[in-house]
Amino acid sequence: MTYLVSLLLIALIIGLVAVASNPAPYFAALGLVVAAGVGCGVLIGHGGSFLSLVLFLIYLGGMLVVFAYSAALAAEPFPESWGDRSVAGYVLIYLLGVSLVVGLFWEDWYEGSWVVVDDLKEFSMLRGDVGGVAVMYSSGGGLLIISAWVLLLTLFVVLELTRGLGRGALRAV
Amino acid sequence: MNPYVLTILLSSLGLGTTMTFASSHWLLAWMGLEINTLAIIPLMTQQHHPRAVEAATKYFLTQATAAAMILFAAATNAWMMGEWDINNLSHPMASSMMMAALALKIGLAPMHFWLPEVLQGLDLPTGLILSTWQKLAPLALIIQVAHTINPTMLTLLGLLSALVGGWGGLNQTQIRKILGYSSIAHMGWMIIISQYAPHLTLLTLTMYLFMTSAAFLSLKMTSTTNIMTMTTMWSKAPMLASTMALTLLSLGGLPPLTGFMPKWLILQEMAKQQLPLTATIMAMAALLSLYFYLRLCYAMTLTISPNTTNATMPWRTYTTQSTITLALFTTTALGLLPMTPAIMTLLT
Repeated sequence: MTYLVSLLLIALIIGLVAVASNPAPYFAALGLVVAAGVGCGVLIGHGGSFLSLVLFLIYLGGMLVVFAYSAALAAEPFPESWGDRSVAGYVLIYLLGVSLVVGLFWEDWYEGSWVVVDDLKEFSMLRGDVGGVAVMYSSGGGLLIISAWVLLLTLFVVLELTRGLGRGALRAV
Repeated sequence: MNPYVLTILLSSLGLGTTMTFASSHWLLAWMGLEINTLAIIPLMTQQHHPRAVEAATKYFLTQATAAAMILFAAATNAWMMGEWDINNLSHPMASSMMMAALALKIGLAPMHFWLPEVLQGLDLPTGLILSTWQKLAPLALIIQVAHTINPTMLTLLGLLSALVGGWGGLNQTQIRKILGYSSIAHMGWMIIISQYAPHLTLLTLTMYLFMTSAAFLSLKMTSTTNIMTMTTMWSKAPMLASTMALTLLSLGGLPPLTGFMPKWLILQEMAKQQLPLTATIMAMAALLSLYFYLRLCYAMTLTISPNTTNATMPWRTYTTQSTITLALFTTTALGLLPMTPAIMTLLT
């Protein structure tokens, strides 16, 4: 288990370096997928299975897919990958920086639990992640309505901004 | 813009500020700030030219960074201290980071660089919303956390903002940028007194809202955005030119106009707190701002710039814009000084 979480953490750092070294958005999105995926694995290793599932579904399956489609709209004929000169320089420097920090902060770590447990109205207990979602549908109903309103607002904001053909801010599309 | 979309955006602006005012949990306050940011972005890009889109992009990036830092500071405080309450920001790193984030939100120096450029890219009504309504929610949070923040940080932010607001506005010819630097300077006055007398922060905010609204609405009435256009305003709307000159002097803090009230009370409070040096520096910085307000008044009312003869006698037809808000705000911007005792009893 320790080895598994170590492996996932190493893959996380490599994924972060892959994103930060500034390749073309295609490859940066791949780095994000790897980083988010193994990050979810680390979360599971610490007991946050629900959050990991929700992260996979919404972040990877929703937002990152939309980002990949948007990046495909802005495609280049010769995208810079991690082997190309400018990007490889950044990769090397970031890996050097990571090894420096690893050398400075090397310690043992312990497997703790990520989950928060809280009390609800004096005599019952709820687990932080799943119980929190359930509370949002019962006594937190006002926040649910506001969240739904905010999502609708975001939709209208995006539609208003990306309106085209002279009626919006982006005219070419 | 489609009236339904406009209704949704304006009501979301109201919802965001209300949520931040009503919240005691950092997450809810953050949500309110994000709703405000989201809702104003399409209002900024209403005029579909690249300058407005650039201003909207700059605004979005800075406000999103500030909101992320607010979330980070709140989460740090929750992790270290177990406290999500707004009034109990006890971890020193969290409170400093929170203050830096809120300073970026309202455009305090040294995080002020976005404000004049964003204001310049907007039309006057949207600039009015940006300068007045969007400042309410972050200032509500600042007033609530001021007692937990390192006093040196607050004093430095206030002093630097007043100085930058004065010096930065000196070389400007575009009035929206001047009003941006004026906003920075007034925010500096508000911050510096927030640790000693938060009710004076509220007072300064209210008076600033009145004066800035009067200034923006007067500019909107005559569509003036730079000094050159301002020099011809007197013949098109002579009464408005005179009241606009007085509004500018009120922004500069001259008695017997309203703008003197907050500065007077703040200097008095700083003297009571044994801070003569700080008070002197703030007063000197206000002189810098006063110089460019006076230059605007000079250009507008004290001289008549060279022009053709017909320009002195244009047709003055009735305006089609609504004038009631302008009248209300100009009255408050010019005449509230005698009511200082009444206003103080309302606030303490």
